[in-house]
Amino acid sequence: MRPESRAGLERAALVLYLAAVVALTSVHDSQVLAAALGLVLILAGRQALALMRRVLVSVGPFCALVSASYAVMMAPAGRFSADYLILVNLRVAALTALTLLVVQRIKLARALGFSRGLLFVVTLATSQALTLRRVVEDYRLALKSRTLVRLGLRDRYRHSAASAARLLSKALHQSGEIALAMRARGFFDDDAPR
Amino acid sequence: MIRLSGIRHDFPDGPRVLEDVSCAIEPGEKVLLLGANGSGKSTLLRVLSGLVTPSAGEYRYRGSPVSPAALRDRGFGRLFRREVVLLFQHPDTMIFNPSVYEEIAFGPRQLGLTDIDRRVTRWAEVFGLTEHLERPPFALSGGEKQKVCLAALLVLEPEVLLLDEPTAHLDPRSVGWLVDFLFDLKVTLVVATQNLSLAPELGERALVLGEDHRLIYDGDLAALLRDQPRLIAANLVHTHRHRHGALEHRHFHTHDWD
Repeated sequence: MRPESRAGLERAALVLYLAAVVALTSVHDSQVLAAALGLVLILAGRQALALMRRVLVSVGPFCALVSASYAVMMAPAGRFSADYLILVNLRVAALTALTLLVVQRIKLARALGFSRGLLFVVTLATSQALTLRRVVEDYRLALKSRTLVRLGLRDRYRHSAASAARLLSKALHQSGEIALAMRARGFFDDDAPR
Repeated sequence: MIRLSGIRHDFPDGPRVLEDVSCAIEPGEKVLLLGANGSGKSTLLRVLSGLVTPSAGEYRYRGSPVSPAALRDRGFGRLFRREVVLLFQHPDTMIFNPSVYEEIAFGPRQLGLTDIDRRVTRWAEVFGLTEHLERPPFALSGGEKQKVCLAALLVLEPEVLLLDEPTAHLDPRSVGWLVDFLFDLKVTLVVATQNLSLAPELGERALVLGEDHRLIYDGDLAALLRDQPRLIAANLVHTHRHRHGALEHRHFHTHDWD
């Protein structure tokens, strides 16, 4: 396929994806959301199982925590709704599965090639994500190298908190540096102090 | 003590970072792991510390294979993690406890040692950290953080100390201190660096990783430093123009500005 045709297809798929995201956040019917999730898994083909595993790993713990908190807060007041819980979790799962599939199948840089601004945003976000992924991996390995026995909850909490704080601070610092470097190269000339 | 045979490693969905690396390191040796950026030095250190499982080849420590299964074994895993320690390039990566005291006590506490206070006090003294024991380690300077991390590793009295570019973030005074400290340290030492000017101060034997990720030299460091073609091949030397008054010339350098 010619590169221009490929880019056109990917752009169309991206528009469809954005429309699907709006639709999935507007639907309040568990059956429709379940069907949407099923459709995404069908589209994933032989990678459906791997996709579902990635969905569970990436949002499973978060959803479990939110669901448990909801149940603990609502049940004593008699306002617990299992239907609502299923609806919310199905929506998160469908949106996550769809996003992971799109990111896997579409080359964002090519699909957004029509806009230099969007292209810069995607490139910067990707470079930041890759850098931060390396940092997270370093934190994980550093802890592993110092772990002699199974860690207790207190140590796990301390490590997670310290890593998250360091990660946030690094991300902020890097964003500042990138913005300065972009300014130095004339990106924000319009609003530069005169 | 350490035996690597035919180690190869590929990043998942990424490039090859180590190719057919074989070598042995005996107890008490001080080894410099040299190589240009991206040659695989950090990955090799991570293999040696059992954090990265090579795609192919075998790693043996004291005759036992080091593998995820072996490290899951409570006895071997604990022994290995206590005896083989790694100082990461960025000390921030390793620090997560609320005080310097807790950071140093982290390892001994896991082992249930009874003399934690004595050990922490001793190593804090060695590294000049006594006055900082109650301070959060992340509030210290880069050099002090490096010392906290070293104290946290050495408090376990390891047999093998692996250091990843230990002088990369240090000021000149801290570099001098570290060189002196490592000189007197009675452990097996593997130091990854590309700083050739410091190399002779840190060890006697060199392992050189080439840009093709193969081990291209294993031998006497002094002989390597005289072998300019090999240093050029490993991208360990640089050339630039000099001006001496009216005279201008260029030649290869083995020094570093770190």
